[in-house]
Amino acid sequence: MKLTVNGESHEHQDGGSADALLDELGANKEHTALMVNGEVIPAKEWETTTLKENDEIEMLVFVGGG
Amino acid sequence: MNDRLKIGGEGFGSRLFLGTGKFSDTQTMIEAVKASGTELVTVALRRFNRDQAEDDLYGPLSELPTVRLMPNTSGAMNAKEAVRAAMLGRELSKSPIVKLEIHPNPHHLLPDPIETYEAAIELVKQDFIVLPYIPADPVLAKRLEDIGCAAVMPLGAAIGTGKGLAMAEMIKIIVRDANIPVVVDAGLRSPSEAARALEMGCDAVLVNSAIAAAENPAAMAAAFKTGTEAGRAACNAGLMPTSELAMASSPLTSFLSSND
Repeated sequence: MKLTVNGESHEHQDGGSADALLDELGANKEHTALMVNGEVIPAKEWETTTLKENDEIEMLVFVGGG
Repeated sequence: MNDRLKIGGEGFGSRLFLGTGKFSDTQTMIEAVKASGTELVTVALRRFNRDQAEDDLYGPLSELPTVRLMPNTSGAMNAKEAVRAAMLGRELSKSPIVKLEIHPNPHHLLPDPIETYEAAIELVKQDFIVLPYIPADPVLAKRLEDIGCAAVMPLGAAIGTGKGLAMAEMIKIIVRDANIPVVVDAGLRSPSEAARALEMGCDAVLVNSAIAAAENPAAMAAAFKTGTEAGRAACNAGLMPTSELAMASSPLTSFLSSND
């Protein structure tokens, strides 16, 4: 299925979880926050969050800022 | 004397907060954070990029046990986006403390008071410890206190300008009226300005560019530490009153001119 991850198109297995997507993209899970279609998904729900075609995913990390 | 700063139930031994942006590299930033003695640093959120994993500050900062993270909401153009950013930040920091900043105009980066106020209401409702970055407006500061913000952070001058305490007179009014901590955020360039802010009764300062853009960031961080401590100590000591007329500090005896 096709997803949009951080603004770019991404192919992911049908019925895959948010957790699997983070693994697939090599994210450090302890350092990453996740939003699906504008909704913040807490880490404890990643394994049970099933992604759907055309979902828009944002994966965020902490960087320098004032 | 116990002079710890309390914000929303959290205690801080240092009254200098640091921003972590604009440093040439992570190691330089970490050295500056250590030299500053700060216990609170701001961080921003950015999209994950596997090719720029070295920009991820979570790891390096979490190795500093006395330093807490305060995610900011930079990039948010309105209240809704700021609330979302705050929620994402909380997921990572595991703490309710948030620097609320909404400054949609890139030319001056001045905070949008209306969106900031709206976002603050929602974040307080969601049990965040809200520290809003605001224009130096005493009315807005009071309104934000009234709705439950843990502190207010008026700007000294526009972000990154290094123009110091341009808003000093308004900040003094904010300090006089506030029952919550006042943190001068943005605009400071030199440790003497940090000292002056604390002398004026501000509770803390938040500094980023002045340290990150210094020739020697760690040395400048140490200088800001000293300036902040001196300002606080002076405030506690009680500054003398000012006077329009000179008041001699030596005895004005006339023995030198006697018997000419």
